[in-house]
Amino acid sequence: MSTALSVVVDATLITLILALAAFGLAIIYGLVGVINMGHGAMLTLGAYLTWAATTAGLPFLVSILLAASGVAFVGLLLEHIVIRPFYDKPFDTLLLTWGFFLVSTEVIKIVFGTDLRNVANPVPGAFDLAGIQLPAYRTMIACFSLLLIAGSALVFFYTALGIKIRALIQNQEMAWLLGLDVSRMYKLVFVTGSFVAGLAGALISPMLSVDPYIGNIFLVRSFFVVIVGGIGQLLGGTLIGSFLIGGSETLFALFTGQVFAQTVVFALAIVVLRFRPHGVLRAR
Amino acid sequence: MTRRMPVRQSLLGASSLDLLLSERGAALVAFTVLALLPVFFSGYVIYILPQYMLFGVLAMSLGLLWGFAGLVSFGQAGFFALGAYTMGLAMKWGGGIEPAYLGLLLSLLIGGVLAAVVGYFLFSAGVRGAYFVLITLALSIMVEQIAVSQSQITGGWNGMFIDRMSLSFGPLGKVSLFEDAAMYYLILPIVAAIYVILYTLTKTKFGKVLTGIRENEDRLISLGFDASLYKTAVFAISGAVACFAGALYGTHANFVAPSLAGVLFSTEVVVWVAIGGRGSLLGVLLGGILVASFSNYLSAITPEYWQLVLGLLFVAVILYFRGGVAGAVAHLVNTRRAK
Repeated sequence: MSTALSVVVDATLITLILALAAFGLAIIYGLVGVINMGHGAMLTLGAYLTWAATTAGLPFLVSILLAASGVAFVGLLLEHIVIRPFYDKPFDTLLLTWGFFLVSTEVIKIVFGTDLRNVANPVPGAFDLAGIQLPAYRTMIACFSLLLIAGSALVFFYTALGIKIRALIQNQEMAWLLGLDVSRMYKLVFVTGSFVAGLAGALISPMLSVDPYIGNIFLVRSFFVVIVGGIGQLLGGTLIGSFLIGGSETLFALFTGQVFAQTVVFALAIVVLRFRPHGVLRAR
Repeated sequence: MTRRMPVRQSLLGASSLDLLLSERGAALVAFTVLALLPVFFSGYVIYILPQYMLFGVLAMSLGLLWGFAGLVSFGQAGFFALGAYTMGLAMKWGGGIEPAYLGLLLSLLIGGVLAAVVGYFLFSAGVRGAYFVLITLALSIMVEQIAVSQSQITGGWNGMFIDRMSLSFGPLGKVSLFEDAAMYYLILPIVAAIYVILYTLTKTKFGKVLTGIRENEDRLISLGFDASLYKTAVFAISGAVACFAGALYGTHANFVAPSLAGVLFSTEVVVWVAIGGRGSLLGVLLGGILVASFSNYLSAITPEYWQLVLGLLFVAVILYFRGGVAGAVAHLVNTRRAK
């Protein structure tokens, strides 16, 4: 019984943490259609900036906000200089953001070196829940992830800004005719997505050793989360996608090794993409 | 020699210069230079160059897909690593026939069949563009993960040692390829042959249909071509070529590790092809050889800055010169001709 419960808890934590890691991509890819292959690099950058800020003696909460803002600024530069003319050519954005990944990874290596860096866990220890030891920090991050997604859904569905963004997705031309500043909205969404990606990298940094390729672990998985969940399905899509890509891996890992479980999940994700290219939530 | 003889060919020397400036002439020069290199160099250069030529073949496998069919695969390194592992296992297992031949044959078959199966599975459902990129990237990660997790077969993270192959030619006897020069002169003609085969392929009707698919897939379909079959075929050829090159690479390098299939190596292939010029198989081949050589040379001096320059070059190519270096050269040649 307690093993079953611990598997459920484990799967839930992994699902929510993966949802956090993928959410920035869900915003950028799902809302403005930029196939952001630089998503992994944004996570990495967020992690390194957090390391730099905490090492400089800043408190953790300040550090993660600085890191996320830093990544948002980089995202702003990327959008303004490179991406802006290519919104209607998604495949070019894929190649350009891949170039961003290459360049920013090398800049990170030049600035920070290639040694492993560790960010001290701000909330060490664990607490007990019905006989199961829950790592405190991971649990907090999982809860934050849920709050972040729910909060975004509130903005998306219940504010004037959300209406504008939805209008933009549904009919860009009509939104423009009705006086919406389309290019400013695109920029806003792109920068918000970068901020969220940087924040995710910052929050994940205490759980892993930070190296220049830390974001790569999440790159392909985040894409699978977004596509399997359904592009543009910010709330339910991200959560269901994260469960299918991340949570199910925990379940498979019960029967095989951890690494092989990832392989199985990737294979299943490819099959899902083939048969439900618009995600599991949307009918074809 | 060139089919499209320029009008001014009567001018003395113009036709030979034009031949030199055509892709075929440039290929002739490039392969002649490669063939003569062992006369002037020995040691490390001759040891390492065949590996870079095989990287060039890997680049051509992507160049064929990207430049001619408009399919971008981020998974060619996965096929390459699969070939190296196939070779290693064939050499270990031995079997009844010559292990080297077995390894080479199996790598062609496995690469081709796997790519055909995956390709048909995806293309028949209309998977294209970004989805294809992501799925092929996932495929190469899966090869890496399987190589790591099945450590009793593959050696896991530590990788696997592969013997240098020796080839027997029936009654003519057996040739050991332990010598670097011997290996060089085995691999160079193979690379040249693959180039000629792929180049010829792009000039056939098959190649023209592929170009049509790249330009306007829907139109080709409405003209009655089964686009998914054509795409499956070109992906299978590309997979077989990449896997075969990987088998040769494995036995040349004596070693294969999971990272050969990883994201980083897959990335490098895309960069070689973009910079070399995806419209030209020769540009792509030379791009692979030269960029890999420079990377090796400069990694001793300034590894990070070189990679940074490569990344910036890649962005510049996507933004400003679609055709890469080969495209820029072709443009210069054409302007010269137009004068």
